[in-house]
Amino acid sequence: MKTAFRLAFLAAAAVLGFWLWTIFFPGPEKLVLRKISSLATTATFSASDSNITRAAKAGNLVGYFTTDAQIIFDAPGQAARTLSGRDEIREAAYGGFASLPALKVQFLDVTVRIGTDKQTADVNCTARVMAGDSKDYGVQEMHFQLKKVDGSWLISRAETVKTLS
Amino acid sequence: MQSANEPRPHWLRVLLIGRRPKVTLLRAAVLGVTCFVTFKFILLPIRIEGISMLPTYHDHQINCVNRLAYLRHEPQRGDIVSVRLSKPEGIANPSIMFMKRIIGLPGETVSFHNGHACINGQPLDEPYVKSSCDWEHQPIQCGPTQYYVVGDNRSMAFNFHTQGRAERDRIIGKLFL
Repeated sequence: MKTAFRLAFLAAAAVLGFWLWTIFFPGPEKLVLRKISSLATTATFSASDSNITRAAKAGNLVGYFTTDAQIIFDAPGQAARTLSGRDEIREAAYGGFASLPALKVQFLDVTVRIGTDKQTADVNCTARVMAGDSKDYGVQEMHFQLKKVDGSWLISRAETVKTLS
Repeated sequence: MQSANEPRPHWLRVLLIGRRPKVTLLRAAVLGVTCFVTFKFILLPIRIEGISMLPTYHDHQINCVNRLAYLRHEPQRGDIVSVRLSKPEGIANPSIMFMKRIIGLPGETVSFHNGHACINGQPLDEPYVKSSCDWEHQPIQCGPTQYYVVGDNRSMAFNFHTQGRAERDRIIGKLFL
């Protein structure tokens, strides 16, 4: 009985240890997932947020991208647009945060593939965006390419995917 | 078997766990597993949102997607199908799907002329389209694994109506009801 109890205790300790290891030393997939989730949180703002908060969020948003990042937007019913580099992204972010009353961004069904060199990652997901107080939302399939820069995962390319061609 | 001398269980206990708790537990487990398998892998419950399938399906309607519908045959013209966007990891089902009607089959050419859908240049009879439509669009050729899908509500402007060629592997199943 005593041996069984010790074995059970050891197994529980091993499981706890593994869980703590994944918390403190997460794998690249988890880090990329966190980055994408954090991007959605940063891009989300409510109508009650002050202009200072909005400006701060727009400024933070740029930090998710590499200096030479590209955003390619081509969705049905919208004008196609390409943003190149942090300056253009910053300008678009400030414009969006100032003109929209509120914005809620979610990335759903996220899949992460880490490159063989462990320095790049591809992410596919579905973006669900609610603008203003309306309950209507738009959905858009997205593809992100991320690069590891100085130990941190940054988005080097974000593009819309045409689900129906 | 209950003996005559054995006291009868309290009615509340009978109501909650039955006369034979072990059998009740087994029944609950079987029911739970059956529901899980059915609604995870066979009939996927969905809530319809949006107006693109009016008047056939309304906003906020509840329905199910039959994931086994195309096990023995390929999708047919007129079928209302759900098309996934990005593919989730593992056995998870997609959170959001498009719900559209198939009008074009692999290899066919789909065009819109005077608001009528044309397949290989011939007008398609679409009794489910009730709204007036003025769509004009050049022919689009479906590839060998592509289906042309579109909603029933053609009163929307062509550019605002999500439609087009869907790859076969994106078609999850057919609407059940």
